Amino acid sequence: MADPEANRTTLEIRFENHHFSPQTLVVPADRPLQITVLNLSPERIEFESFKLNREKVVEPGSSVTLKLPPLRAGSYDFFDDFHSDVPEGAILAK
Amino acid sequence: MPAATKDRLIRAGLGFPLLFGAVAVLRCPAQLDPWEFEVYPYSTTQRGMAEFETDNAVVVDGHAIGGEGTASGTVQSQGMWYNSYEVTYGLTDRIEAAFYLNMARPGGSGLQWAGDKVRLRGRLFEQDVLPVDVGWYLELEWHKTPQFDDAVRELEFRPILEKDLGPLSIMANPKFEKVLAGVGHAQGVEFGYVAGLHYRWERSLSPGLEFYGGAGLIDQADPIERQQHYVFPTIWGELPGGLEYDFGLGYGLTRGSDHLIVKFNLELERFVGAIFKASRGGGWFF
Repeated sequence: MADPEANRTTLEIRFENHHFSPQTLVVPADRPLQITVLNLSPERIEFESFKLNREKVVEPGSSVTLKLPPLRAGSYDFFDDFHSDVPEGAILAK
Repeated sequence: MPAATKDRLIRAGLGFPLLFGAVAVLRCPAQLDPWEFEVYPYSTTQRGMAEFETDNAVVVDGHAIGGEGTASGTVQSQGMWYNSYEVTYGLTDRIEAAFYLNMARPGGSGLQWAGDKVRLRGRLFEQDVLPVDVGWYLELEWHKTPQFDDAVRELEFRPILEKDLGPLSIMANPKFEKVLAGVGHAQGVEFGYVAGLHYRWERSLSPGLEFYGGAGLIDQADPIERQQHYVFPTIWGELPGGLEYDFGLGYGLTRGSDHLIVKFNLELERFVGAIFKASRGGGWFF
């Protein structure tokens, strides 16, 4: 039987200097994703995506991993819900 | 009781109390919780986060007799403002605890205490591991009787089910409730439901459709006209400052339901500090 994890696209988003990097990620549509969010800043953040229905608190110096089902082509927001001045990012599924 | 004796008692003016006593040991018809018109999703409050919430429902067109519609006690539902204050805390990454203060303002009266409840709610596994995301809900509730309920204490359990299909979340919370003390404690388990469709359109404004109902006892449902069923078209979203809102108009679908209810909930979430360590990634309960 095929390993469903083998088809999973893995991504990394870093948070430092009050910014997400990269701010825009392009991913293949219709494939499951795994996103690791690394918080390299001294401040606590809440990585949240309204469109993806996900939110996770990330402590300073730690990381969280989110698994996502295959996404239809489109743009999916992400932001730090604890700091409204942090620029929003986007995951573009193509 | 022999018919002749009954006739004598009725003639002596004792018939009404006897008749009332016979009715009073049975609960009011199918009930729901009018202090909280809210559908629970799979996700829980995150570890170390606290949510402060006020849930409000005003019965614009209800019933003029106590024990009818959303009123489970002696106070009528018409004009009632159900007002609750809730504090929820994320104990672990998968379990939250909450305390509620339930207040009520019957039409033409002042705001008064109506009851309290405490609950635990959890989610199992990580999101999207199972075909349907599954959670659980356990609540202990007590009421000011006889004004706002005929039961003193109740225990409630709900499985929580959620399936996300793109921007659409489909949620169902079937409810199983047992009276622990007060009228109805000798009866079985009551069944009700809370369900919703939430469409994620914009962070500040999204539509939803919610369903609430009570059918009576599992093994002896009330006649449909005495059951309560409501449909609420809603709008929900986040205001500046992180304040989340949820507004809806509830239409009663049966004679036993109130006819029109307006609900308005507000919620604010803040990190206050964790008391437990992070849950294991591969864990399923804690």
